[in-house]
Amino acid sequence: MQLATDQLSTTLAALSDSTRRAILARLAGGEATVTELAAPFAMSMPAVSRHLKVLEHAGLITRGREAQWRPCRIAAAPLKDVADWLAHYQRFWTESLDRLDEYLRDAQKKEKNHGHRKHHAKRKA
Amino acid sequence: MATGSITPKERHELVLTRVFDAPRELVFKAWTDPKIVAKWWGPHRFTNPVCELDARPGGTIRIHMRGPDGTVYPMTGVYQEVFAPERIVFTSAALDAAGNPMFEMLTTVTFAEEGGKTKQILRTRVIKSTAEAPRYLAGMEAGWTQSLERLTAYLAEHSKE
Repeated sequence: MQLATDQLSTTLAALSDSTRRAILARLAGGEATVTELAAPFAMSMPAVSRHLKVLEHAGLITRGREAQWRPCRIAAAPLKDVADWLAHYQRFWTESLDRLDEYLRDAQKKEKNHGHRKHHAKRKA
Repeated sequence: MATGSITPKERHELVLTRVFDAPRELVFKAWTDPKIVAKWWGPHRFTNPVCELDARPGGTIRIHMRGPDGTVYPMTGVYQEVFAPERIVFTSAALDAAGNPMFEMLTTVTFAEEGGKTKQILRTRVIKSTAEAPRYLAGMEAGWTQSLERLTAYLAEHSKE
């Protein structure tokens, strides 16, 4: 598997850093310049620029063309892939665990119904 | 009564905590006995016509999940750790039509006794992915839509950590 060419992996890698997630959260509220983005962080401008490059490479942000004023904007498509992935697994596990919960209730009810003997209920239904 | 909470964590790990009103040994067994796993694995209305688990370190997992529309979703996996009745770690990979893995997950499940109940913490994260993975997920969850707003809220909530 070529991870370097895979969009979802690139997106996940870019999102693995809390500073970059904070930058995206800020950009979700509207476009901003590097200076504006750097303001809340105790971080040098080059450090912020490096984070922006990672986000840009992952397609998570786009940047304006103007040399001086290069506003950053959030890009939705790769985020949607990650959201889909998260949603899928939340649903997969939430529903699986609901079913496990049901099984555990049934199994214990059956055991109780088998009376006082200490045998594990053999489900002959 | 099961309580649940979902916390997407760093590196896009999903963390789901549940309390089952059942003894820990029973919960552990429900995770390692293939006949039992076949009853609950997968979303509502899915069945598991194939469910083979060799629950020991290095042992394999083979599950064919069948959706309500009849589509079969094969997956394989390998147990990394099996420590009864406390902890299970396994990888799992969804396979494409040719049997190649499209993405691989690492899942850790821990079980703790809590006043006669069992607190289960499940963590899962993607460790490998291919370009087909998003399309596969989209197909599997047709109609599932996740708004950008919801993710934005998540990002805002978790970026202060």
